[in-house]
Amino acid sequence: MKRRGGYAGFLRGVHRYLLFFAMTAFLVTCCMLLFLNILTDTLHITFTDENIGMAAKLTFGNVVLLSLLFTVIDILRRRRAVHRPVNRILQAADRLIAGDFSVRIAPPDFSGADGCFDDIADCFNRLAQELGSVETLRTDFIANVSHEMKTPLAVIHNYGTLLQQPGLSEETRMEYAGVITQSSRRLADMVTNILKLNRLENQQIYPQATEYDLGEQLRECLLQYEDIWDAAGIEPVTDIVDGVRIKADAELLALVWNNLLSNAFKFTESGGVVSVSLRADDTYATVRVKDTGCGMTPEVGARIFEKFYQGDASRAVQGNGLGLALVKRVVDILQGTISVESASGVGTVFTVRLRRRPHE
Amino acid sequence: MFKILVVEDDRELNRSVCTFLNQSGYEATGCLSAAEAYNAMYAGVFDLIVSDIMMPGTDGFEFVQNVRALDQEIPLLFMTARDDIVSKQRGFRIGVDDYMVKPIDPDELFLRIGALLRRAKIAASRRLEVGAFCMDADAFTAELNGEEISLTKREFNILYKLLSYPKKTFTRQQLMDEFWDADTETAPRAVDVYMTKLRSKLAACGDFEIRTVHGLGYKAVIR
Repeated sequence: MKRRGGYAGFLRGVHRYLLFFAMTAFLVTCCMLLFLNILTDTLHITFTDENIGMAAKLTFGNVVLLSLLFTVIDILRRRRAVHRPVNRILQAADRLIAGDFSVRIAPPDFSGADGCFDDIADCFNRLAQELGSVETLRTDFIANVSHEMKTPLAVIHNYGTLLQQPGLSEETRMEYAGVITQSSRRLADMVTNILKLNRLENQQIYPQATEYDLGEQLRECLLQYEDIWDAAGIEPVTDIVDGVRIKADAELLALVWNNLLSNAFKFTESGGVVSVSLRADDTYATVRVKDTGCGMTPEVGARIFEKFYQGDASRAVQGNGLGLALVKRVVDILQGTISVESASGVGTVFTVRLRRRPHE
Repeated sequence: MFKILVVEDDRELNRSVCTFLNQSGYEATGCLSAAEAYNAMYAGVFDLIVSDIMMPGTDGFEFVQNVRALDQEIPLLFMTARDDIVSKQRGFRIGVDDYMVKPIDPDELFLRIGALLRRAKIAASRRLEVGAFCMDADAFTAELNGEEISLTKREFNILYKLLSYPKKTFTRQQLMDEFWDADTETAPRAVDVYMTKLRSKLAACGDFEIRTVHGLGYKAVIR
């Protein structure tokens, strides 16, 4: 990037010189007038035009020289106290623009301008660090997405090729076709979730909140899984207090309940129990979704809200690791909290706590 | 055999949906645009239409509006990639009966088409029969083995709803919203009273039962 310099710098120098000249001239003139007046008053000396003229020329020359000296000193001081630190910040900014997020400004010798540059350098360093971590997240996300997408695509491709072989038995053909269907479904679910997450993360204006019956919403969400619990032999248990109304975005919250419930039903074996409870006080509504599924270790529990994190690699086929990231994002947007308690082999409880009315 | 019109501009998707429906016992005709669909509808009668929204030329919204203007009864199903609530609201407002977001699961499509056709049949005939039990929605009468069972209008409506969607649970609130006045002060538990009355009136009927789904609501289960 080209910096302003050369001619403009020269003009600035001249400007500054004129300023110093005016100041010095003003000061010297004032001093001289005072001095000469006192001289005339006390010693009664009268000055002729001749000797005044001579002294005036000499003084003028002195003023010109002094202003020049001041300007030079000022330029040198500025170069040390302003130009050097500014240049270093500019250079660092250039590197940042070029995409080098590791750049940092070392602060020590910016003593010239009362530590102002230290603050700027500090701020710059934090900016670079933030950008760096955003960049890491982004590259991780892309790496994860491409891995998660390429795997099912490769599976589809391979089994598609296998299906083209002549003379396959009916059983094998069905098996291959089944794998293709399953993989494409997995891919489709993931694309849907990525789009939803993306929409939530880039959302600037949040949808308007309406007041509605939270218990009824939970019941309706739970009823969407009626076919699943009938087929899987899972018992749904509800403990929902009547008449809990909440002011929030119903569509966003439905996303939370659906993801929590679909997880609960996914991980619960036949004969297990999925329970939903709703409790409320004046300020908060608390929803618990509990299952008697396989549960998870504390280490897994600590990371489940991360994108693409999946607790058990062998269960990876069942999901895409985005559902709970979505849930977390929505709960954050609605300024609620979500926590998880779980024990391996016993089950999992998700607790969502929401304000019944948003902050004003 | 039910005839289904599939309007979808992607050739492969259209072909696969039609093939699947044909194999599932329907007679499906595929059209790649709304214009083609209009021609097909001039040439023959269809029982149900499956349509995409984003299509070149006339889009799905306009197509559905035009069809609805001519035919109030025909079941319409949107099959689209647009999953935003605005599109869904618009779709239902102009008169689609069901809305599925791509990628669709063919098995689910089959189930939903079955349900739509069954409801269309109930709606068209205004009669509903479960074994020996029979309801006539025009006369508001219910008969078991040819003998009339007297039901109040609200009891009739609740039962008609439950039997139109067998095995589906309705919450008390959903039933209240539909069969009680909007400004009613009645608590949702009032529904329980009606269920008790219905059960005692239908005690002799062995073809279905009204089952309580604990904490959630009620459903009709056909035996």
